[in-house]
Amino acid sequence: MKYLLLLGLIGLVLSPAKAEEKKDPPKATTYDVPYRLTDTKHIHVRVKINGKGPFNFIIDTGAPALFMTEAIAKKVGGKTEDGWTTFDKLDIEGGLSIDKPRGVAVDMFQLKGMNSMGLAGVELHGVLGYNVLARFKIEYDFNETKLKWTPVDFKAPDPMRIKDKNGGQGGLEMIGTLTQVMSMLGGLKPNFTVHPRGFIGAELESKSNELIVKTVLAGSPADKAGLKVGDRIESAKGKSLSSSQDLLEAVKKLPEGTSLKLSIKRGEDTKDMTVELGKGL
Amino acid sequence: MKKLLATLLLLPLGVCFVRADEKSLEKPKTQTVKFELVPSGHFIVSVKLNGNGPYNLIFDTGAPTTLITPRIAKDAKLAGDAKDKPLIPLFGMMGQVKVKEFSVGDVLAKDVGAMIMEHPTVKAFSQEYEKKYGSIDGIVGFPFFAQFKMTVDYSTKEMTFTPNGYKASDVMQDLMQTMMSSMGSKPQPRVAAPAGLWGMELAKSKDDEADGVDVKAVIAGMSSDAGGLKTGDRILTIDGRWTDSIADAYTATSYAKPGKPVAVVVKRDGKEVKLTITPKLGL
Repeated sequence: MKYLLLLGLIGLVLSPAKAEEKKDPPKATTYDVPYRLTDTKHIHVRVKINGKGPFNFIIDTGAPALFMTEAIAKKVGGKTEDGWTTFDKLDIEGGLSIDKPRGVAVDMFQLKGMNSMGLAGVELHGVLGYNVLARFKIEYDFNETKLKWTPVDFKAPDPMRIKDKNGGQGGLEMIGTLTQVMSMLGGLKPNFTVHPRGFIGAELESKSNELIVKTVLAGSPADKAGLKVGDRIESAKGKSLSSSQDLLEAVKKLPEGTSLKLSIKRGEDTKDMTVELGKGL
Repeated sequence: MKKLLATLLLLPLGVCFVRADEKSLEKPKTQTVKFELVPSGHFIVSVKLNGNGPYNLIFDTGAPTTLITPRIAKDAKLAGDAKDKPLIPLFGMMGQVKVKEFSVGDVLAKDVGAMIMEHPTVKAFSQEYEKKYGSIDGIVGFPFFAQFKMTVDYSTKEMTFTPNGYKASDVMQDLMQTMMSSMGSKPQPRVAAPAGLWGMELAKSKDDEADGVDVKAVIAGMSSDAGGLKTGDRILTIDGRWTDSIADAYTATSYAKPGKPVAVVVKRDGKEVKLTITPKLGL
């Protein structure tokens, strides 16, 4: 099964429909495109199509074109002709914009399978393939948080269609449905929601292994809990802290409305307090 | 019953691949690799496995794993080392190997994990291109290219690789974790945590589908205030990242380290205004 799962992760697509491609004159600017690696090790960027979105796409040199789910294509509107759907505009997060991009609206089995189990950790809506990627020189470095995209002057010939004898992906399509069915049977429901972390309202400073409260914002959760300027925070959630990073780490997964137990030193006294995390950042 | 099925689903995942031990080379130098762009819009690179080959493989940034066909696995004397063979060898699956020396052109990566199998799509490619380029025998994926700072340029048909010391975790282990964490009654939502203290509160109503989020409050004397943010501003981007929901805005601030100035674009009175805000250490 895990091999099938893995197969379902590989973004390799045979071919889109046939037609020609028009090009825009490229500009010699480099764009910093934010990306994230999904849990499945796909390079995820965000796009807007016809101003709608953002949608989550994978950068896929193994795909011949821009592919998006049928639902997305329908939602944003586009003209479909000869297998290709043409949109007015494709915006890629980071300030990059492509006029009149063409793509193929199809529910890829890979995305279907991944989304049904929530494997990627984010809901995926499509892939950016050759007919988009070929217009840029792209620099990837997973130590950085952004990719570098520089437009190049390349007239990408239209991708040729390869026909598998069986007319599809050689039987791989069943993986998408299989994982979908299995996740339904197994009661695995993906959760793609993202919650904002809770707010405390304290400015901190690190001094010789001590974490000191520099400012307490008036009326903030920290203020209400009784935190004072000069307090040394010694532990959070029962774990001792030696840096601000430790505290940020301890609070990282606490959304608004949860509470945090802190142990502080004020002069010679040790005090325990509970902060009710609020809204803000 | 549900639980049993869920467990069954997880069972085959119980054994993990050996984690590839990626090491960076001593002196990072940039090497160039030419690739062959084929008419279907894919590109082929020349690969050697432990000095055997060369073989033609498709280069695929959308592949979390590397694949090699049974043919070249045998040719490179790797088939005997295959571990973790599947019980039912669908698609000619022969298991997983760690290739000690995996080169794409002259670029060498060590201990690259690869799956041996007959991928139907790769087979279709091979049949299509065999006459012109020779057979195509697999896919170069993430375990190889993650070890480098890489550029891909279709206009020159060149890639460059510079070792960057990046350590990639194993995709199977990560998957296991995702599935295990979703095993409980309800998978937990993610939490987006700002890296610094901004001194502001954001809002967006449910039926509001326009770009950006509203600034509901700015705390006097704090970073946002010092950077010129005002209540009623509509934040469009933070550090070039779209902020079309509160969750998006928090995600954008998770990359903004305390003490480092960040570009923030807001809409104010119908005009776009660019601000610079330096978040503080705090939370």
